[in-house]
Amino acid sequence: MKSERVEEYLEAIHRRQLTETPVSTSALAADLGVSLPAVTDMMRRLESMGLIDYEPNRGASLTAEGKQAALSVIRRHRLWERFLTDILGVKWDRVHTEACRLEHATSSETEERLASLLGETDTCPHGQPIPDKDGNVRDQGIRPLSEFKLRQRVCISAVAKEEPRLLRRIEKWGLKPNAVVSIEKKDSDGSLKLKLDSQRLVLDKETADCLLARPLSSKEETAEEEIPMSGLRTGESGVLKSYTGEREMLGRCLSMGFTPGSPVRMIKNFGRGPVLVKIHDTEVALGQGMASKMMVRRESAG
Amino acid sequence: MIEKPDEKTVVVALVGTPNVGKSTVFNLLTGLSQHVGNWPGKTVEQKTGVLHHNGLTIKLVDLPGTYSLTANSVEEQITRDFLVTEKPDLVVALLNAASLERNLYLVAELAELAPRLLIALNMMDVARQEGMKIDLKALESALNIPVVPMVARKNQGLKELIEVIGSECSLPVGSRTVRHIESDSQIEADITHIEQLLTDEDTVPYPRHWAAMKVLEGDSQINKLLHERLPEAQQSELDSFLSDKESAAITMAGLRFDWVNSVLSSAQERPPLGRVSLTEKLDRAATHPMLGLAILLAVMGLVFLVVYGIGVPTQHFLQVSLIERAQSLVFDHMHFAPGWLQSFLGNGLLGGVGTVLTFIPILFLFFVVWGFLEDIGYTARVAFVTDRYMHLLGLHGKSSLPLLLGFGCNVPAVMGTRIIESKRARILTVLLAPLIPCTGRMAVVAVIAAAVFGGKAILVSLGLIAFSLLVLAVSGLIMSRFVLGSKRATLMMELPLYHSPNPRTIGVGAWQRTAAFIKRAGTVILAVSIVIWLLSYFPGGSVDKNFLGDIGRWLQPVGNLMGLNWQLMVALLTSFVAKENTIATLGVLLGQQKAGLSQALKVMLTPAAAIAFLVAQVLFIPCVATAACIRQETGSWRWTAFSIGLQLVLSFSLAIVVYQIARLARIGV
Repeated sequence: MKSERVEEYLEAIHRRQLTETPVSTSALAADLGVSLPAVTDMMRRLESMGLIDYEPNRGASLTAEGKQAALSVIRRHRLWERFLTDILGVKWDRVHTEACRLEHATSSETEERLASLLGETDTCPHGQPIPDKDGNVRDQGIRPLSEFKLRQRVCISAVAKEEPRLLRRIEKWGLKPNAVVSIEKKDSDGSLKLKLDSQRLVLDKETADCLLARPLSSKEETAEEEIPMSGLRTGESGVLKSYTGEREMLGRCLSMGFTPGSPVRMIKNFGRGPVLVKIHDTEVALGQGMASKMMVRRESAG
Repeated sequence: MIEKPDEKTVVVALVGTPNVGKSTVFNLLTGLSQHVGNWPGKTVEQKTGVLHHNGLTIKLVDLPGTYSLTANSVEEQITRDFLVTEKPDLVVALLNAASLERNLYLVAELAELAPRLLIALNMMDVARQEGMKIDLKALESALNIPVVPMVARKNQGLKELIEVIGSECSLPVGSRTVRHIESDSQIEADITHIEQLLTDEDTVPYPRHWAAMKVLEGDSQINKLLHERLPEAQQSELDSFLSDKESAAITMAGLRFDWVNSVLSSAQERPPLGRVSLTEKLDRAATHPMLGLAILLAVMGLVFLVVYGIGVPTQHFLQVSLIERAQSLVFDHMHFAPGWLQSFLGNGLLGGVGTVLTFIPILFLFFVVWGFLEDIGYTARVAFVTDRYMHLLGLHGKSSLPLLLGFGCNVPAVMGTRIIESKRARILTVLLAPLIPCTGRMAVVAVIAAAVFGGKAILVSLGLIAFSLLVLAVSGLIMSRFVLGSKRATLMMELPLYHSPNPRTIGVGAWQRTAAFIKRAGTVILAVSIVIWLLSYFPGGSVDKNFLGDIGRWLQPVGNLMGLNWQLMVALLTSFVAKENTIATLGVLLGQQKAGLSQALKVMLTPAAAIAFLVAQVLFIPCVATAACIRQETGSWRWTAFSIGLQLVLSFSLAIVVYQIARLARIGV
């Protein structure tokens, strides 16, 4: 087992490597909060252990062995995070520092026990993939949120930074991994206007940059897509998501039970004329125009 | 002073959503000892009744059917205003056991305003039939208020309800508390914040907490009230607080349903998924765009068959054996009385008011049939299948049943517009209803068309019906765009479950509607009959030397444009009392009886003039009974005058156009 310091360095180099190779010593010094000479010292040591290739003045990159070792640490780190949130109920903004300490004191036996206890889980609570024990990382095709097209529906997959304040903010907004959003507008200062269900959010650049997302698969797309209620065919069901009509009619819609989250079933839809839906145990007739202003998510049949 | 127990009176309000059988329960509880009127300043019916139980006098007030207590409609406003200003001792929430989820939403709202609340759970049989299982004990304990199961149409559970009303009224206020919906939510803080911005005086008569909640929900009425009362600074503080709370209404409605679901989770077992209820099966046919229309036509056919099979012979019988016999009594046996008195009694009272009153059996039958269709739940389906077509007129489906009834008589048509919530749609329907050719008008058409056109009379009659419907459609189109402002009408209506009719509900309802017609229209009809008689008797005392004749002659220039002489103009004018009067007046003016009249008409009218006269007659101003109802339902003389003016203009101008075209084309001149 490698020393805690060594593992810390390998982890840091691995993280940096995702965006730049080779990794400069000054960047590492900043990431780890240590002095430049200390980094240079450690680089030499790691190189002698065969874990990195190091060229003074250019930087370091992990060797195959080094990468394996880094992924092993990362695996333990993320398994611990899962354990802390899922089993112990620690909040997701507090698990990172705990896991940083636990990861270095974990034998491979403990690691395997943890993995089997957690079962199928393949991401950490922040959405980052957990490498398998041979060091393979599943590629999910995730990209920074801001790189997606306007109005494309994407699934938030991971949060790149694990800073507690940021994580709490993301949680409050309901943007934890698996939230489905679309970008309404990209501002020149890097902030994003998002649509999440029926609400609209403005994300500052700092937060926006930390969010990674993936496009919805076509299957998810049909399941997630919001369609006007008038688009439900006779016999289909859906869940009401939002109302896009005039404000003055909102009160009546609400008192008739058309609230977000309510399940509806289309009893009659002839394409023209009013539709008949079942909502809250009663049949309600709704003009075609009104039905087209209520957005629903279609439930898969059966 | 010692209060005797038998002197104690409590006020109990009956609240519920539409279609829960509220009037059935109300009728059963109070019998016929009820007072029917209107809510002050509103065209919404107010019913109160009294019952006695164990020395307790219970004054029962039937509040209008409503889904919520946010001021979206007049009904909702009346209900909540009654609760806060009259402070009833007890509120009985009548719920439909088959759709508890929707009905408990109202309870979530009532819990805020009703100091004492109990639930009467009606239609337990329907719930069972639909496969719902309700655990009453669990429901009671989840809500912390008594729940009385009922099947009102089978007279079950009423005794128990009265018992519980009695015992609940003797409990001190506040001994039961219902958990409020906003407990433990973000909304609670928002409500408290708004509450702190307001004083108790600001929200009088509403409780401050409740008003704060409604402000957050964007309730227009409360907002307006505060706008008038709050000082500038406070108002802007409130406005800025509310500016980013736009979605609070949605959140709150969601919270209420969460509340409902938490109550129901332990108390209700749903039917297995995929079960198709009886109502759904019937609706497959009744709401089908083609089949549904066919069913509607069949139903309307049946309605008119019943009404004419029974109603018209009855009217005829009353006319001949009562009115005409009384008239001959007046004219033949009252020689001791002065001539004017004889004429007043015979022509003015019996001929005017008497004739209108002979139509009451027909009206009553209409109300019975209508009540029947409403009670079994069919009227909502009529609205559904006709909605598409009514949109062409800027209306929605709810207007179609009143208009269909108009083919029988315009009076129930106008009275029937009550089922339409939107004031705009209601007024438009009221204005259009008298353009439907009623049977009275068609009777006149039949006589004149037969006299002038012989074998082609049927074609002429059908053509006139088509023509007046075209006029109705165009008027609807124009008025909905220009007179009332083009606001799209939206249909949003619950389709109640079908159920077997309750004769008592239908009977009492029809009786009340008829009585309301007699009481309210009676005075207007009497007054108009007297005025018409005065005009027809003075100053000359004979058929052609009177003011009415003078008016007819004065209208001659207009008449000339339509090819009509003054007698025909007078006949038109007298149709104001009752459409059928046209024929009688012509008979008198031309000095002919039935057989001779037909001959006289043929001589007097060219085909072009006859068509022009029929057009004028079919579109002429609503009869006095209809006009009285228009005044009643719109609550405004201005709309009544507008309606009369509109039809006067339509009638004369279209008759002129028709006559002139016929003349220019040299058809039948």
